Amino acid sequence: MFHPKDSSPRDLIRRSRRLGSALFTALVCLALSGCSSWLDGPQSTLAVDGPVARAQLNLFYTTCYVILVIFVLVGGTLAYAMLRFRARSKADEHAEPPPQSHGNPIIELSLVVASLGALVFIAVPTIKDIWFDYDVPKAERAEALQIVATGHQWWWQFQYPQVEVKLPYGGQAPLATANELVIPVGKPVHIELRTADVIHSFWVPKLAGKVDMIPNRANHMWLQADKAGYYYGQCAQYCGLSHAVMRFRVIALPEAEYKAWLANQVKPAHTVTGPEPAHVEQTVFKHYKQNQFGFSDKWMATSPTSTLNLWRAKQLPNPNEDPALIAKGRKLFQAKTCFACHTIRGHEGIGVTGPDLTHVGARSTIAGGLLENTPSEMARWISHPNLVKPGNIMYESGYIPNHITFQSGDVAALVAYLQSLK
Amino acid sequence: MDDTALPHSTALHPAVPAPRLWRPKAKTGLVSWLTTVDHKRIGIMYGLFALFFLLVGGLEAILIRTQLAVPNNTLLTAHEYNMLFTMHGTTMIFLAVMPLSSALFNFIMPLQIGARDVAFPRLNAFSLWAFVAGAIILNIGWFLKAGAPAGGWFGYSPLTSREFNPGSPIDLWVMGLQILGVASVAASLNFIVTIINMRAPGLKMMRLPVFTWMTLVTSFLIVLSFPAITIALVELMMDRLFGTNFFNVAKGGMPILWQHLFWVFGHPEVYILILPAMGVVSEIIPTFSRKPLFGYPVVVFSGVFIGFIGFGVWSHHMFTTGLGTMATAAFALSTMIISVPTGVKIFNWIGTMWNGHLRMKAPMLFALAFIWMFMIGGFSGVMHSAAPADAQQHDSYFVIAHFHYVLIGGSLFSLLAAIVYWFPLIFGKITSDRWGKIAFWVIFVGFNTTFFPMHFLGLDGMPRRTFTYDTNMGWNTPNLISSIGAYMLAIGIAIYMSHLIYAYFKGPKAPRDPWDARTLEWSLAAPIPEYNYAVIPTVHDRDTWWYEKQHKEEIARERKAHASEEAAHGGIHMPFPSYYPFLACVGLLVGGLGVAAVPFGHKLVVAIIGLVIALIGIYLWALEGNEGYHLHPSKEELES
Repeated sequence: MFHPKDSSPRDLIRRSRRLGSALFTALVCLALSGCSSWLDGPQSTLAVDGPVARAQLNLFYTTCYVILVIFVLVGGTLAYAMLRFRARSKADEHAEPPPQSHGNPIIELSLVVASLGALVFIAVPTIKDIWFDYDVPKAERAEALQIVATGHQWWWQFQYPQVEVKLPYGGQAPLATANELVIPVGKPVHIELRTADVIHSFWVPKLAGKVDMIPNRANHMWLQADKAGYYYGQCAQYCGLSHAVMRFRVIALPEAEYKAWLANQVKPAHTVTGPEPAHVEQTVFKHYKQNQFGFSDKWMATSPTSTLNLWRAKQLPNPNEDPALIAKGRKLFQAKTCFACHTIRGHEGIGVTGPDLTHVGARSTIAGGLLENTPSEMARWISHPNLVKPGNIMYESGYIPNHITFQSGDVAALVAYLQSLK
Repeated sequence: MDDTALPHSTALHPAVPAPRLWRPKAKTGLVSWLTTVDHKRIGIMYGLFALFFLLVGGLEAILIRTQLAVPNNTLLTAHEYNMLFTMHGTTMIFLAVMPLSSALFNFIMPLQIGARDVAFPRLNAFSLWAFVAGAIILNIGWFLKAGAPAGGWFGYSPLTSREFNPGSPIDLWVMGLQILGVASVAASLNFIVTIINMRAPGLKMMRLPVFTWMTLVTSFLIVLSFPAITIALVELMMDRLFGTNFFNVAKGGMPILWQHLFWVFGHPEVYILILPAMGVVSEIIPTFSRKPLFGYPVVVFSGVFIGFIGFGVWSHHMFTTGLGTMATAAFALSTMIISVPTGVKIFNWIGTMWNGHLRMKAPMLFALAFIWMFMIGGFSGVMHSAAPADAQQHDSYFVIAHFHYVLIGGSLFSLLAAIVYWFPLIFGKITSDRWGKIAFWVIFVGFNTTFFPMHFLGLDGMPRRTFTYDTNMGWNTPNLISSIGAYMLAIGIAIYMSHLIYAYFKGPKAPRDPWDARTLEWSLAAPIPEYNYAVIPTVHDRDTWWYEKQHKEEIARERKAHASEEAAHGGIHMPFPSYYPFLACVGLLVGGLGVAAVPFGHKLVVAIIGLVIALIGIYLWALEGNEGYHLHPSKEELES
C-alpha cells in the first residue's frame, strides 16, 4: 500500500507480490519449525492419547479444513479487490467516480446458500460427536471404571466407588486419593463431577475436553487412555485466588500394574516403628521465593511415557528411612492437629476437609500438582502453605486460623513421616 | 428566567410564566459541559471518557502481559493479577468499547438523520453522567483497602457469593454494572425514539445510513438484553446483602441460573459491541471506494437477523456446563447459523470495493484490517460452534485469541477508523494521514503479534485467568512473543492518540466533506452549530449527500423554500441546558457507593441520602418542563 511516486503501477504490483510471497514463505517456515514445538506440550490438545480427545481433535481439524477453504476463497477475493481496485495515484483518487452500482441479489443469495452448505460439513460431525462425547459407549458402559472427582479450592479428590476401604474408626467408604487419578489403560472411565465449594472444571487435554464441576448439578464425563502415560490436567474455570495453581495428574497404567497399585492403595498406611529421637535439627531452606517452579529438571520432559517413569520411581520404597524420625512425625501429625483435616487410614488421621494422605508418599506431586513430592518441597509447603498457594485453608488462613507453630526439627519429622506413607 | 444569556433567542411560551428554577446560563466553561444537553457535546464527553478508560484497560492489559512474559513470574501476586484481569475485561467492555460506540451514536446518528438533537436531550445527559457514576463505582476499589473486584467480568456465582468473596469489591462490581445498565438502557430508548421519530423528511427506513441502522439494532439489543443482567445482579445483591438464596448452594440455590441469566445478556452484548463497528465499516468502505454499499438491504437485514439470533445462542458460552446432548446440539447449530449473516456482510463489503476506486487513507486501512481481523475472529468463532471441539478450546487461550480478534481486530479497529474518519467533522481539524497510517501499521503488527500466538497457547492447553504457569509446559516462547506484541500495540495506540492530539491543537483546518463522502452529516461544515441544520434537509436517496452533490441546483431551491417555512414557524426550537440530570447522577453515585462501599451499619443511611438526592434531581427535572428557546439563524448561516 505504500508506493513511491516514481514507479509505475505494474512495478508496484510485481514488487508487492514478491514481498507477499516472501512473507508467506516466512510464515509457513515459522509455522512448520517454530510453532510445531509450541503444540506438543504436556497439555497439548493436538497430541492426544484417548478416544474422546481424538474425536474432539478430528472435529477440530474438520472445522479447520472447512474454514481454510472459505478463508482462501473469501480472503483471496478480498486481497484481489484490495490490490486490483485501489487508486494508484492522486489523479486516480480524484478521477470520475466509478459506476454507482447497488448490488446483485443473485450473487448474494447464492453466497448465502453456499455458506449454509459449508456449515453442513461442520454440523454433521459436530452432532455425531456431541452424542459420542456425552457418555461411555453403551456396549462398554457396564465395565467402565467409575470415578467421583470432587473439586476443592484448590485441589482435587478422586474417589473409586467400586472399591471400598475400611475407615479408621469403623465403617466403609470408597477409596479416596488426591490430585493424582490412576486409571487402567484401554478401559473407559466414567467420571462423576462434583464440587465442594465453587465452580471448577476438570480438564486433561490429552485425554478429553473439559466439563465443569458446578454446585447442585450432577455433571459427568468420560475418558479413556490408549497408552500408559502420565497426563497433566488443570482446573479450567476461574475458581478464585489460586485458580492458576489448581493442577492434577492422570496416570494411566497397564492393567496388571494398575491392579498392583490398587491393591497397595486399599491397604492402610504403611507403619514404621522405632524409638523417638531426642532432638532433630531443622535442615530445610531459609530463603523462600514465592511462585517458584516446584519441580526438578527431570520434569522438563514432555512425553507422557518418560514422566510416567518418574512417577513409577516414586512408588518404590525408600531405603534410607529413619524409623525414629518417622515416629516423631507421626506424633506431631496428631499434636499439630493435622489429623483433624486429613485421613490416614490405619493411623490417627480421620479428617475429610483436606486430601486423604494414606499413601501420600507414593504420589509424584503435592499441593494440588503444584510441587514435586520431594522432602524439601514438602517442607516448603508445610512451613509456608499460604506463600506456596495463596488463600488455601491448610492452617495459616483457614476458616478458624489455629496458629500452628513448629519447633526446630518438627517439619523435618513430619516430612519424614509423610514420605514414608507409600 | 433570564433569556439575555441566550443571544438570538426568544422563550418558547413567553405567555406562560415558568417556575422559578435555576437554569444554567453558561455557554462555555465547566458548568456548561456539566449541564449541556447538546448531543454533540455529550458525544464528545462520552468519547473522552471512553478513550481514558481505553488507556486504563490497556494499562491493565500491559501489566497482565508483563506478568505472563516469563514463567513463574513474581511481578504480580495472584490477587493482583485476578483484580487486573477482572477489571481489564469489565473496563474494556463497559467503559471503553460500549461508550465509544455511544459517543458515535450520540454525535453522528442525529446528524445522519437530519435531526437537531436526540428525542430526549436531558435524558441523554442523564445517560452520560450515570455512565460516569457507574465507572467511578467500578474503579474506586483500586483506591480502597479491600481492593478492586476480582470475581471475573462474568462474576460466576458462587465465587461471587458472600461465603467466598465477603468484601466490598464484589458489591462495587454489582452496583457499578447496575448503574451502567441504567445509563445504557436510558440512552438506548432515547436513540430508538430518535431514529423512529426524528428522521428528516424523505428519510425512509430503507434509506437510513447503515451506521444509524446498526445504532437502532444495537439499541434494541441493549433494551432487551440488559434486563437479564439487571435481574441477575439484583439477585446476587439480595444474596449478598439480605441473605436470600438465589445462588446459595447450601440452601438449594442454583449457581447455573447465574450463568444462564448472565449469558442471555452476555451474548447479545457481544453484538452490542460489534454491530456498531459493522455500521462504521459500512460507512467507510463505500466512501473510500466511491461507490454505494453493495446490497444495502441485505446488509441491513443481516444486521437485524444477527440481532434476533443473537438472543438464541447464549448457551454456547456454557458448552462445558453439562447442558446435555440435545441442548448442546441446538445451541451448536444456532451458533453456526449466526455466522451466515456475518459472512454475508463480508461479501457485501468486498462487493462494495469491487470496481471501486479505493483510496487507501488511514480510516480505510483500519476498515480493511477490520474485515481481515474480523474474518479470522469469525472463523475461530465457527470453530467454537463445534461444541465437542470447543470442549478443548473453552476457557483456554484459544478463546482469548478469538474474542480479541473480534473485539480489538473487530470493534476497536473500526472505532479507531471511525474517530479518524469523523474527526474533521467533530473537531474541524484534519489528522495527519501519514501518522494515521504509521499508527495503523504499528497497531496492526502489534495486535497480531500479541494475539495470534495465543491460538497456539490455547491449543497447547494453557487455561485462561491464570496468574502464572510452569516453565515445563511448553508455553514460554509464545507467551514472550505475545507480551512483546502487547508493548508494540501500546506504542501503536500511543502514536494514534498523539496524532489525534496533535491534529486537535496544530492540525490544518478541515474543509467541508474532506473525504468526498456520501451521507448527510458531511453536508455540514465544522464547527457544527448547536442546532446542526439551519434548514432541515430533505432526503432524496440512500446516499443523500452524494445525491445533493450531483443535484446542487435542485437542492438549493428546496432549501430556500424550507428556510422560509421554518422561519414562519418561529425559528429553530432548542432545549435548555439543565442541572438536574447531573444532580440525579450524583445521587446515583452516592447511593451506589452507600450500598457497595460503606460498611454495614452505615449502608442504609448513605444509600438513602443518595436516593433522596437522585429523587430531588428527577423531581426538579420534571418540574423544569420541556420548554426551550428559539434560535433564528442569520442569513449567512442559512446559506452555509
